[in-house]
Amino acid sequence: MAKVIPRPDLGVWERLYIGEIVKGLMTTFGHAGKALTNPAHFPTLQYPEQQPDIPRDYRSRHRLMKRADGSPRCVACYMCSTACPARCINIVAEESPDKHIEKRPVRFEIDLLLCVFCGYCVEACPCDAIRMDTKQAILVGGDRASFVADKAKLMDWEPKDYPADDIQSQKAPGGTLNAKALEELRSGSDH
Amino acid sequence: MADLITINVDGKDVQVPPKIQLIEALRTYAKVDTPAFCYHPDLSVAGNCRVCLVEVAGPRGFAFGIACHMQTAPGLTVKTQISSDRVKWARRGVMESLLVNHPLDCPICDKAGECTLQENYMNSGRHESRLPDDAGKQYKGGADHRFTDAKGNDRGGKKIDLGPTILLDQERCIVCSRCVRFMSEVAKEPQLAIAGRGDHAYITTFPGKPLTHGYDLNVTDVCPVGALTGKHFRFQQRVWNLKSVESIDPSDAFGANITIEYNNGRVWRLMPRRNPAVNKSWIANSTRLLYQQLAVNRLTDARVAGVDADLDAGVQAAKAAIAAAKKVALVASGHGTVEDNAALLALKDALGDKSEVFSGSWLAVGKADGIALSGDPVANRAGLAVLGLADNLDQLAQRAGEFDALVVFNHDLWGADAAKAAKLEAIPARVVLAAWNDATVAKATVAVGIRAWAEVRGTMVNSQGRIQLMHACPVLPNPALEPAWQVLAGFAGAVWASEAQAFAAAQARAARLAGLSYRAIGPMGAVLPQPALAAAGA
Repeated sequence: MAKVIPRPDLGVWERLYIGEIVKGLMTTFGHAGKALTNPAHFPTLQYPEQQPDIPRDYRSRHRLMKRADGSPRCVACYMCSTACPARCINIVAEESPDKHIEKRPVRFEIDLLLCVFCGYCVEACPCDAIRMDTKQAILVGGDRASFVADKAKLMDWEPKDYPADDIQSQKAPGGTLNAKALEELRSGSDH
Repeated sequence: MADLITINVDGKDVQVPPKIQLIEALRTYAKVDTPAFCYHPDLSVAGNCRVCLVEVAGPRGFAFGIACHMQTAPGLTVKTQISSDRVKWARRGVMESLLVNHPLDCPICDKAGECTLQENYMNSGRHESRLPDDAGKQYKGGADHRFTDAKGNDRGGKKIDLGPTILLDQERCIVCSRCVRFMSEVAKEPQLAIAGRGDHAYITTFPGKPLTHGYDLNVTDVCPVGALTGKHFRFQQRVWNLKSVESIDPSDAFGANITIEYNNGRVWRLMPRRNPAVNKSWIANSTRLLYQQLAVNRLTDARVAGVDADLDAGVQAAKAAIAAAKKVALVASGHGTVEDNAALLALKDALGDKSEVFSGSWLAVGKADGIALSGDPVANRAGLAVLGLADNLDQLAQRAGEFDALVVFNHDLWGADAAKAAKLEAIPARVVLAAWNDATVAKATVAVGIRAWAEVRGTMVNSQGRIQLMHACPVLPNPALEPAWQVLAGFAGAVWASEAQAFAAAQARAARLAGLSYRAIGPMGAVLPQPALAAAGA
């Protein structure tokens, strides 16, 4: 059933229109005044010379987490590709040569042109192997193929860019903030 | 059918046959979804998982009884999970016990998505464990993926190589004994056994003996959890990503019912489809692994005089060769569907007196194994008889000199018997429609690619005289490929819109097919009337 949204009931002042225009322009002039008196608070960004400061927990391009030996933490369970509403994750699994690990991805590709950056893959991952915290929200490429992030590209990141005291993109068992996340889960504050 | 009796399920009277297992009565007649791990309709009753329990009225009131072992009798009064909270409570207890030692590796388990334990856990499991985290078995990895219990005892391996086809994960096993019963009752070679007692029981082969049987992959199907998995499908796909179509075994005249599971233009596995009148729940390993040949060595276009050509050019060359011939030998194929052979007969009618149809096969017929193979590799041999085609392929070899064109489809004559087929090389124009680049294609003057068995819709008649449907799976290696009946009808100058029209053409020639339609055949097939009866009715 369609949801009916009632129109807002406009008073005489709103119907007059002119007053509302002045109210709207107050915002514009307010920002202009602030920028003139204090240029540091200039509200617009001189893009692309200036790049926006993207917070760490903004859902940006994915990265694949690594084990201590540098292999991907991913166990190729396909939970992310199953959860993905855009069907942009393509995984091919194989037997892992590691005695402690059964399964690993031989290919792990995300088509960033199909991706809707919803973050379901991050939530679905049972071993915190995929995160969306690279701060790369502006993606540039010359052709479609260059937007397919393969395993090497997803694992091309340095631990120094992700300091332990930084906000993490998520809290999940196995993550670097594991103990804290589990504690919050147990205390019920994060449910 | 025997007279029905009345039992009472959840306060409602239900008509059921007498002396069938109560679980079947509940599932089939009372429409109550009853879980079970150890019960399998085509195996004996073991009664060890206890999860099918229901409340049954007895002399001392309602008591728990397992529905798989109990048989229906007049006056039986049953309470299931629908009317009894005690049943739900007891099943939760059973599930809790089963899950204590079951690992939480569903994300990397190939059975996930079609796992009975998973399904029942969602329905009646305790979603939070009452046990400490370190209770039960603990996976420690290491050599052979061993795991230990809380006391540090070695409790088995997660990757035990049972034989050439199967891997065993003892941590996932719930010791339902279905695989043991399959091997002893159906395969009749008891190669699996339960060793140890109680909590320490585990599935194993006999010391030093591998699990090798022509049907051993069926244990991966009967396994309700991911303990037994086939090496051919290990880590290939997650099962929820697969789509399926129903088909039948194209490699044997018994026509075991299968489902073809595919996605992204590729077949990933074949699974048995239960048909109590044909193959029950079983298929041979050879049938199950047929999918591996589907994309290998295919004839995806045409070949004219040994030179690759596109399909249209191949069809034109074939038509020209047939038109130029003074006498044409048409070879029907038991590897093709009834529709394909009806199209061949339509081609014979179009050519008139200058053509002659030969039928049969040079492949050796083996012995039936009593499970899902008849031993006859010609899947639609009975279908040829239904169309009135006699087994006279040897005559063709003897009289090869009379003909100057040969039309063969879906029939590897040279692969079946190269010595006999060599005589056919006396025929100057050899038109071959084939799905694979086989020995016959190598001898063809004009070869045209057609769809393989998994890619066509049609019917075949099995060795029991049962007509069965196969459905097309969208996995064509070349989208322009046509089924054999379409190409043959094209040779005859006819345009048949669909398989249904081809089937109607077959019905016009065979009295035994009268009154049937694809809908009437259905997923379970339909038994054709005996020839004499059909003749009397016609």
